[in-house]
Amino acid sequence: MDLVEIKFYAAAREAAGVPHVHVQPDSIEEIIASLIKSSGELARVLPQCSYLIDEVAVRDRSIQVKGGSRIDVLPQFAGG
Amino acid sequence: MSATLKPLVEQGPELSVDEVRRYSRHLIIPDVGMSGQRRLMNAKVLCVGAGGLGSPALMYLAAAGIGTLGIVEFDTVDESNLQRQIIHGQSDIGKSKAVSAKEAIAEINPFVNVVLHEVRLDVDNVMEIFAQYDLIVDGTDNFATRYLVNDAAVLLKKPYVWGSIYRFDGQASVFWSEHGPCYRCLYPEPPPPGMVPSCAEGGVLGVLCASIGSIQTTEAIKLIAGIGEPLIGELIVYDALEMEYRKVKIRKDPKCPICSDSPSQTELLPDYESFCGAISDGAAEAASGSTISVVELKAKMDGKEKFMLIDVREPGEFEIVRIPGSILIPKQEFLNGSALEKLPQDLPIILHCKSGVRSAECLAVLKQAGFSDATHVAGGVLAWAKQIDSSLPTY
Repeated sequence: MDLVEIKFYAAAREAAGVPHVHVQPDSIEEIIASLIKSSGELARVLPQCSYLIDEVAVRDRSIQVKGGSRIDVLPQFAGG
Repeated sequence: MSATLKPLVEQGPELSVDEVRRYSRHLIIPDVGMSGQRRLMNAKVLCVGAGGLGSPALMYLAAAGIGTLGIVEFDTVDESNLQRQIIHGQSDIGKSKAVSAKEAIAEINPFVNVVLHEVRLDVDNVMEIFAQYDLIVDGTDNFATRYLVNDAAVLLKKPYVWGSIYRFDGQASVFWSEHGPCYRCLYPEPPPPGMVPSCAEGGVLGVLCASIGSIQTTEAIKLIAGIGEPLIGELIVYDALEMEYRKVKIRKDPKCPICSDSPSQTELLPDYESFCGAISDGAAEAASGSTISVVELKAKMDGKEKFMLIDVREPGEFEIVRIPGSILIPKQEFLNGSALEKLPQDLPIILHCKSGVRSAECLAVLKQAGFSDATHVAGGVLAWAKQIDSSLPTY
């Protein structure tokens, strides 16, 4: 089965320690939960992130991500 | 999506001899030339904020010869601003930032007409102010104003150049709902209150303002003159430590509440502070470094850690939905002090509420009372329902 590619940016990339990982297809919330188990650092960063599935932002985290998709993980901040 | 668009601004009058001399380095670039410069000189650009991003943006926009520069800013210059807000100087400390910026612009380019809006941007004034300009540069420093700027720009069909900075990281994009996604297509919701530190709390590398502010200025100039490929539908993610600029494509969200074809929101929200769950300074201070995410809370539960989870909402809310294992002690009991005697001294206390605002206030009370290891849950039970257990009802 095709995997889902997860690309981390900025603080998420730092917390993950790698630029991207591949995971089994699942719901966004399950994917986030499994990422957090793999790295405690991510537990702090992921809740403040936006998730783009194939370039479109996720609003409902229960939706299933299909194999072969890419998820961009973007931390949000507002400094100016 | 990123094809050249037609110029945003019509050409203004012919240049004077002085203006030809001043702008000669633009005039001899074929893509800008006389027509591009006349568009810049006929443009009205509004900069929201004359701080970190506003400083380089305003200075370069002024130097480029933008005809009218508006500045929305109500703050005064503080010594701690000078590490990055280079439009202000030592002698400006204590002065209105708007006035200080206007004086600096007059020194850079006396041909620029500067209009000051010395107010805090809010739902009552934003539409009237934005309507006077062709393009907006967003250099604000908080989520509430950023969502306000976005919604007003979408409703007025205006393009705006967005930039944001934190520590060594920067992001920038052009949001123009007529041609691509808006800020809410990228960030549908603000993060839980207290979860993301501001630059005042977490710091920012001063020169990062120049990196991101110059991208914003470049995009503004391109849109006005109609040259190059605008940064629409793309996000620049800048990492100063790795010295990398990455581009992330963003598509318009077909379910965006404000910029989709059938929007559920057709006017400004009544209150952007409450949309973003703004909390008081005291609560913010208590929450700083003492905030955990719902994911961390779940991990503590799964790891069988011992703690007391206290829900500070009202009984009716507790009936609708609750986090497993929580006990109810409404906020009022913290404020009047009666809650304190019910609390264990030998167990870490974790507070939560609906979205993280009330729990932060109660946390401030606990910290005052000496419960130094108490924490609260960012985003409250709503975040729990969204991120941990989506079968739960929300309200």
